[in-house]
Amino acid sequence: MEKIIRPIPPTTEEMTLALKKGLQNSADLMVKSAGSGMTLLYIDTLIEKLMLHQDILGRIKDESFSEIDAIMGEITVSDIKKSKNLDEAIMAVLTGSVIVHLNGDSSVLLVNIPSDEKRALSKSENESQVVGSQIAFNESLSTNIQLIRRYLADPNLCQEMFHIGTRTHTAVSMLYIKDIASEEYVNNLRERLTSIKIDGIIDSAVLSQLIEDSSLSLFPQMTVTERPDLVSHWLLNGKITVLVNGSTLAICCPHSFIEFFHTMEDINVRWHIATFLRLLRMAGVFMSIFFTAVYVAVLTYHYEIVPQALLIPLSESRARVPFPPLFEAFLLEFMIEFLREAGSRMPTKVGQTIGIVGGIVIGTAAVDAGFTSNILIIIVALGALGSFITPSYTMGNVIRILRFPLILLAGCWGLYGIMFGFCLLLLHLLRQTTLGAPFMAPFYPPRFADWKTNIIRLPFTYTSNRPIELRPKDEHKYNPEKAKKQK
Amino acid sequence: MKANYQPKPPLLVNAFMAFYIMHDLQVGVGINGFQRYIYMYAKHDSWVSVILVGLLVHLIVFLILKTLQLYGSTDIFGVHDDVFGKIIGKVFNAIFIVYCLYATLITLINYIEIVQSWIFPETPIWLFSLSLFLLMIYGITGGIRVIIGICFFNVIISLWVLFLLLFPLKYADFSQLLPVLDTNPLGIIKGTYRMTSTVLGFELFFVLYPHFKEKSKVQLYSHLGILISTIVYVAIMVISIAYFSPGQLVSNIWATLTMFRISKIPFIERFEYVTIAYWMIIILPNLMFYMWSAIRGMERSFKVVEKKSLLIFSILLFVVSLFFKTRLEISRLNQLFVPIGFYLAFCYPILLFFLAFIKRKWKSNKEQAL
Repeated sequence: MEKIIRPIPPTTEEMTLALKKGLQNSADLMVKSAGSGMTLLYIDTLIEKLMLHQDILGRIKDESFSEIDAIMGEITVSDIKKSKNLDEAIMAVLTGSVIVHLNGDSSVLLVNIPSDEKRALSKSENESQVVGSQIAFNESLSTNIQLIRRYLADPNLCQEMFHIGTRTHTAVSMLYIKDIASEEYVNNLRERLTSIKIDGIIDSAVLSQLIEDSSLSLFPQMTVTERPDLVSHWLLNGKITVLVNGSTLAICCPHSFIEFFHTMEDINVRWHIATFLRLLRMAGVFMSIFFTAVYVAVLTYHYEIVPQALLIPLSESRARVPFPPLFEAFLLEFMIEFLREAGSRMPTKVGQTIGIVGGIVIGTAAVDAGFTSNILIIIVALGALGSFITPSYTMGNVIRILRFPLILLAGCWGLYGIMFGFCLLLLHLLRQTTLGAPFMAPFYPPRFADWKTNIIRLPFTYTSNRPIELRPKDEHKYNPEKAKKQK
Repeated sequence: MKANYQPKPPLLVNAFMAFYIMHDLQVGVGINGFQRYIYMYAKHDSWVSVILVGLLVHLIVFLILKTLQLYGSTDIFGVHDDVFGKIIGKVFNAIFIVYCLYATLITLINYIEIVQSWIFPETPIWLFSLSLFLLMIYGITGGIRVIIGICFFNVIISLWVLFLLLFPLKYADFSQLLPVLDTNPLGIIKGTYRMTSTVLGFELFFVLYPHFKEKSKVQLYSHLGILISTIVYVAIMVISIAYFSPGQLVSNIWATLTMFRISKIPFIERFEYVTIAYWMIIILPNLMFYMWSAIRGMERSFKVVEKKSLLIFSILLFVVSLFFKTRLEISRLNQLFVPIGFYLAFCYPILLFFLAFIKRKWKSNKEQAL
């Protein structure tokens, strides 16, 4: 069905009426006469008043024009266009345009001067780092694009605009470097973005859930970050970024499982430390998922595998506990989750108090009261630490809830249950894709060349190639032969 | 059905995966207790039997891959169809499918038996069986790449198990291996025959072959895989002979697990509990490969949709698995499998190679004559 184009009514009265009707008699719609048949229509709250006076009113007032093109020449705003479509004009008004209407003319000028109310750029709070830049995205799309362009002064940096949401018309921008990013992934993402049918999206976190490969999976398949430096680094590797107006988070994809445990600091610090930190994180995550479950399994079914020297303190600390290990573990795990959730919703100062109350008071009291064993408290606290070690908040949440089914399985079938859970997890991860690329790369499909950049990190002199799992068009970051000569 | 079968590019894997697949297929549930039957015949020269089997497998796999290479890109179902014609070919395909299901069942039941006798004597079979079938169905519906993926992961992350073999070395007495080659040759041959059922799995290359990208390199990598698994088997055999006294080894159903018992690190003792649970991930790819081969056969030969046959086979095997409760029944099932595996996986490929070779020659001669 083709949409009927409603033309612009030529007379001032009709135009005013049509616009008022189109905007449901909105109180902040301003109709201002600029003399000699010219009328300006705009929404007061959306436009930059200074520009309205300086660049529009100041230029055209007290002059008379016979046709609309002449006015276009006078106005010094760059974002200006002519339109004959009433619906387009209404949309433009809603995104911060001023309609310049000349009585008797069936086309209008749409002068875009949106008021740029935005927060000042600030430090990255949620993904802070010691070595490296501190800046984070803010809520304005143009600022965010500007931030990325400042890092990447590359003419090949492509920017495509989409408007998503039948009601919100949110501006969404897709960025990639044309001669690096794989065409297949770009097309894939473009297709997904254009096929979204929804009334509105408020944040990029919502958008990422709409365009990811499998929304049923426990794991996020696209990452969101608030760091422009990280986004630029990933763009250089051949990833694609999606920015959403009004959101401080940039979506990056394709993003494999292991990359959720990477930070910008891994690149910034020297390679020994980076490698150590990466391995540490993996160990922490592994521990976080399985530690409590193993405790429950061993204490419920497999006392035999604990050496005698360790069994004595273990049974001593559990001697007063009246619950089975499964119940004990759930009690403590839920306590930690309560604390965590309470802490994250509180103002910072109260949050600290909560931590003290929870950690020291409840923890000690629980042991004294004989509710839990000391050893379990250590294990659960270590597990909680391990889940905080994940740099990506979304992935950290997954690690956090993964523990519960595993503890349950351990409580029911011991080590067999844990192994069942592990196999299921592995199969699940192997089945996932991110933008059509395998999620478990570079482990599987094995890309051994990528292990030196994605699992550990070798010095830059040994990593002249981009990760091949992203299938970059240009595989070389630099030519290693030339680099050697310069040394 | 066309003899030639070319899977779509997303279903192809690199040729070097043949190494991992081969190794994984050969090492399965059998490794926990293969020593006993070989030792019965070959005594302290059992390791010679193991090496002989290794050499034999090299030969058979060479022939299997040569047979398939005659056709370019095909699997055993296509070869059967071409060599025996439509109807008899279907019969042979059905036999192969039944064999795959039998192998799945054997692996499953032997694993469940180990879990039951070592860890959970009270827990009913259906629970273990059900959990393994759930994993299998979930994995197989993900496609061949997921199965190969878990197989690859398994080989990489299972390396630690090999370190457990260092612990028995402390108590090993290698003089028990002497005098070398003292047993009569017939005993060694008999031991070799008993060993064949442990190293089975390579015959699935008959079905997997079309899924490799560079067909010419499959030969190399699969032989490397065989080499590594043979070395593992020989190492375990040698250590077992040195560690156990002869009487113990003959009466021990799970010699390898018994060896793991004495492994000890500061916070874990009795490692066999860990390894038994851990063995799930080692047998899971085997189960999935066999099951997948069976449902591939159903689709290729009888045009049954994969999901349908997967569901039917799973339910069927699940029900059948509930009937094997005692050691005696399981032992009988295993005994029956030895000749079947020997004839189907060791003898039949040789025959098939010559049949296919002659058929190809005859066909090309006919074409030339025309």
